[in-house]
Amino acid sequence: MRRWIKFVGLAFTSLTGLACLIIVAMLAIILGNIAVHGWPRLSWEFITGQPRAGMTAGGIFPAIFGTAALVLLMTLAVVPLGVAAAIYLHEYAWQGSKLVHVVRLALANLAGVPAIVFGLFGLGFCIKFVGAGMDRAFFGGALAFGQPCILWAALTLAVLTLPTVVVATEEALRAVPRSYREVAYAAGATRWQVVRYVVLPQSVSGILTGTILAVSRGAGEVAPIMFTGAAYYLPYLPVKLNDQFMELGYHIYVLTTQSPDVEATKPILYATVFVLLVLTFALNLTAVLIRSRIRRRLRAG
Amino acid sequence: MSAILEARDFSAWYRDHPALCDITLEALDHEILGIIGPASSGKTTFLRSLNRLNALLSGFRVEGTIRFRGVDIYREDVDVAVLRRKLGMVFAVPVPLPGSIYENLLLGPRLNKTKTDTDALVEKSLRAAYLWEEVKDRLPQSAFALSGGQQQRLCLARTLMLEPEVLLLDEPCSGLDPISTAKIEEALVELKRELTIILVTNNVMQASRVADRTAFFLQGRLIECGATQQIFVNPREQETHEYVSGRFG
Repeated sequence: MRRWIKFVGLAFTSLTGLACLIIVAMLAIILGNIAVHGWPRLSWEFITGQPRAGMTAGGIFPAIFGTAALVLLMTLAVVPLGVAAAIYLHEYAWQGSKLVHVVRLALANLAGVPAIVFGLFGLGFCIKFVGAGMDRAFFGGALAFGQPCILWAALTLAVLTLPTVVVATEEALRAVPRSYREVAYAAGATRWQVVRYVVLPQSVSGILTGTILAVSRGAGEVAPIMFTGAAYYLPYLPVKLNDQFMELGYHIYVLTTQSPDVEATKPILYATVFVLLVLTFALNLTAVLIRSRIRRRLRAG
Repeated sequence: MSAILEARDFSAWYRDHPALCDITLEALDHEILGIIGPASSGKTTFLRSLNRLNALLSGFRVEGTIRFRGVDIYREDVDVAVLRRKLGMVFAVPVPLPGSIYENLLLGPRLNKTKTDTDALVEKSLRAAYLWEEVKDRLPQSAFALSGGQQQRLCLARTLMLEPEVLLLDEPCSGLDPISTAKIEEALVELKRELTIILVTNNVMQASRVADRTAFFLQGRLIECGATQQIFVNPREQETHEYVSGRFG
């Protein structure tokens, strides 16, 4: 009997350990495979050049540029909205109120909507409704915003990442001890002053980290931008809000499915995936660095 | 001596749970009023009703009146921020905010945008909290680097920076060693000359050492209030006698 118990214990330890090992192994295999195949094709020319010969040669600079522009625009849209909403939900609203309940329900459901539905929403609402309406109202019916472009793609992505930003921000706000707020209230602070002088300084690192992680997650999404602005190939870079753009994730999709010469495209595909991963990890690393830096500063006082 | 704070038939509820029942009690100018009683007897609730800090909790409800210098503090048009500055509070656990000792002290002036000579006030407050000698050369250092007792005296000094008329102390020495406790008690006795102090304490002996008058709370009711000497030596009520002589707690 004792031996049996011992065996079960050992088996359980090994199984749980194995589960962890599998996680690490999967990441290692994915990264290793991509690095090994992608690295040789990587060059300065690849990063700064245009795609040529039907995507079987040349570089991916327009896609890198487009991704950066898209992420920047999306961040500008989602961060103020998400952080403001989270502050209202957590600091101002009475927690038992119907409004809070409805907003939380909306957020939870928004987080569960498949990305492709956001893409269709962007097409139907942003482009066909808002964009076309803007064209009729401001451009005399000429085509300006009633078409797929970087603005609508960024806004669609912003809606997709909004729940994550709100949840991450709320998490950061919750981490500020109630006693800190009470000290400020007891010193005669108004609600706004408590937020401004105590809550925000204490939670800014958490908000930043959560936001960057949410943004980096959104940056890799392809489905929401397929119908709303990403282009197969463009000879120019997006400089106006209603320009179309190339994007790394979408470019990978294009390389995989639309290539005239699969074998010639393969190394480029690997290298592109490699670049996308590096950019995403760079964003995540930034988040971690900001967090540790602000933590250090707070501790040092 | 006249009453600076008076509660009349004051009752309070957390949702349906009664926390205070018909409290009638006053604090006189320049006295230390000790409030003693076992856990969940309503002493902290009473203290936090005095600066309306409990109003932050949803479901907190009051009846009756509390007057500060004759004005009902639960009236609609009372500016809570101003009220809380006049009734400074120190909490049971020292709560230094992240940042330097100096920044902690500046909390009140910063919130209230006062233009007074803050450096003079910093020294005065730290001296009054018996902390000046220990921290005068390390004001830019983190407040977390201080010991627990020092942190609590810093919190006292931070509250004094508000230049309050009343000090509300919620078991300020509950986690402190005897030496730190003695320093805070000395500080309180000194401070009595300038302001009124209401001291909630779990430590019956502390009340007997520093309080001029002592009130005994039990299960949300005020059992009796009188001169400290009388409460400890010759209490009117049987329950008071049992509590101060340590028969229940």
